[in-house]
Amino acid sequence: MGIAATIQQPAEGLMVPGKKSLEPILKTENLWKLYRAGKVDVPALRGVNFAVAPGESVAVMGPSGCGKSSLLYVIGGLAQASKGRVLVDGNDLTAMSDAERTKLRRSKIGFVFQRFNLLPTLTAKGNIAIAQFIHGDGFDPHRFDVVTGLLGLAGRLQHKPSELSGGEQQRVAIARAIINEPKILLADEPTGNLDSKNSEVVLEMLRQLNKDLGQTIVMITHNPEATTYFDRVVHMRDGVIVDGVPAD
Amino acid sequence: MMGELIVRNLLHRPLRTLIGVLAVAVEVALVVLIVGLTSGLLTETAKRIEGIGADVMLQPPAASVFIGMTGAPMPIKIGDKLAELKYVQSVAPALLQFSSSGGVDVVYGIDSDSFRAVSGGFVFLQGHDMEGPDDLLVDDLAAAAKHIQVGDTFKLLNHDWHVAAIIEHGKGARLFVPLATLQDLVGAPDKASIFWLKCTRPEHTEDVMDEIRHLLPGYTVRPLSSLLSLMTSTNIPGLQTFIDAMIWLAVAIGLLVIFLTMYTTVIERTRDIGVLKSLGAGRAFIVRALLTESAGLCVMGIVAGVGLSYVVRAAFLAGFPTLSILITWPWILRAAGIALAGALLGASYPAWMASRKDAVEALSYD
Repeated sequence: MGIAATIQQPAEGLMVPGKKSLEPILKTENLWKLYRAGKVDVPALRGVNFAVAPGESVAVMGPSGCGKSSLLYVIGGLAQASKGRVLVDGNDLTAMSDAERTKLRRSKIGFVFQRFNLLPTLTAKGNIAIAQFIHGDGFDPHRFDVVTGLLGLAGRLQHKPSELSGGEQQRVAIARAIINEPKILLADEPTGNLDSKNSEVVLEMLRQLNKDLGQTIVMITHNPEATTYFDRVVHMRDGVIVDGVPAD
Repeated sequence: MMGELIVRNLLHRPLRTLIGVLAVAVEVALVVLIVGLTSGLLTETAKRIEGIGADVMLQPPAASVFIGMTGAPMPIKIGDKLAELKYVQSVAPALLQFSSSGGVDVVYGIDSDSFRAVSGGFVFLQGHDMEGPDDLLVDDLAAAAKHIQVGDTFKLLNHDWHVAAIIEHGKGARLFVPLATLQDLVGAPDKASIFWLKCTRPEHTEDVMDEIRHLLPGYTVRPLSSLLSLMTSTNIPGLQTFIDAMIWLAVAIGLLVIFLTMYTTVIERTRDIGVLKSLGAGRAFIVRALLTESAGLCVMGIVAGVGLSYVVRAAFLAGFPTLSILITWPWILRAAGIALAGALLGASYPAWMASRKDAVEALSYD
């Protein structure tokens, strides 16, 4: 079933390949995002309709400037929508204040960025632990060990980001993003700064998280090969989604 | 975790942290030392005057508690009248004169016998009591500061004095000369600036003071026991204002440096702030993190400032033994409080600015 068709029937379930029909954990309805450039409003998103089922992995592709990152920031609650609705696990982000979106982001969203965005003063361990600290549940050593073991970071935890390779840094960033068991993991070109070998490692880890742990993932990428690791690929152009087909 | 983040942030830019710490240290040291110097000098002066051992002092009408500021308008014969009062054991007149040669001093012109009767006499470390008209007694601290030895000739008030003795400090002045010679030198024959009175028993102090008030209405009569509480900066016109101005200046230095430090910190960490926001850190978390970092920097500055105060005091006292710098815990705590408040105030705008940063813009900051 194509995503375009799915979003026309939001009340109905989504069909994820190999998974049961589920209510979407993420859904946008006629989502607009305008940026002010001088005296002109420049639309980055022009009525995006998009839905993701729990446990689904979706790759969003498109040329530079098509609105992929804007979509990610809006559905992640980092940016406010100009018009339309964003529903995350049933919560309407567009009706929320900045503080409420922050709270929701803390509990339901994990981010992975192209430039890793680790805090340079903290060690790998500190970078992961601070997410737990901000989440408010304190340091959970069991969860920490499971996640860092899963991502193969056990021997690198006392190193600062500047002492880690790009692949290791991105794995730390993934660990930080999933340490609090978010409902949705949003990744903004996570392999964009990595060589092909490290890209494969990171993509394989994302697939493992999705398949083994049922982690919902939405990833932006320029790399067509990367989409093969995902359940579905969505193409964007000029601020709208132009198709949505299951990946081969 | 917050503590680790703050410590690592402070260590990440050691030079910037050091500058911030130094600014707070200078702020704290300035407050502690300015107040310590003022109160130290006043307290030390008061203790020295108390050390004379008199029970009552008599000054001309409207005289200041800072006795060196008083001229010599009282006839010396008043002393005879005072000696006749009931409960008065002994009376010692003194003529006080400012001297600015080789430092600011108050020279006491005294009559050896009467001063000894009131004070119990000097403790002579070297030399002997005044015997000739040009004899000078110098206390040990002044002797060390001015490099004076017994037998030296010392020029004071445009007069050459013979240093007769080095005495133990704590008996009013640091320099003592014969009363008659000083009266001649300053053109105040048969005059005295002050009379020290020793009562037959300390309990009679009030009775003696009442008698003096009756005998010499309008004259200033004070018990020596209250001198310490009267010798405060608030009793010197303009001094408290000067101290307040210096404290505000110190606070302004600390506040501006902290502001600049935290402002540059926020600019430099713009991306980190975006990251924290992406992790779900709210405005309160970011404000708390930056204010705590500023407070941490301030605490290090306070510790350094207290240490610096003691080092500067030791250096001053080594160079100027007659100085007295009184460093007290109440003022250390007050200076710490002032510095902490200044640091939090200085960091509050950068923290507020950081908390309001747009997360998306912050994440794309280079």
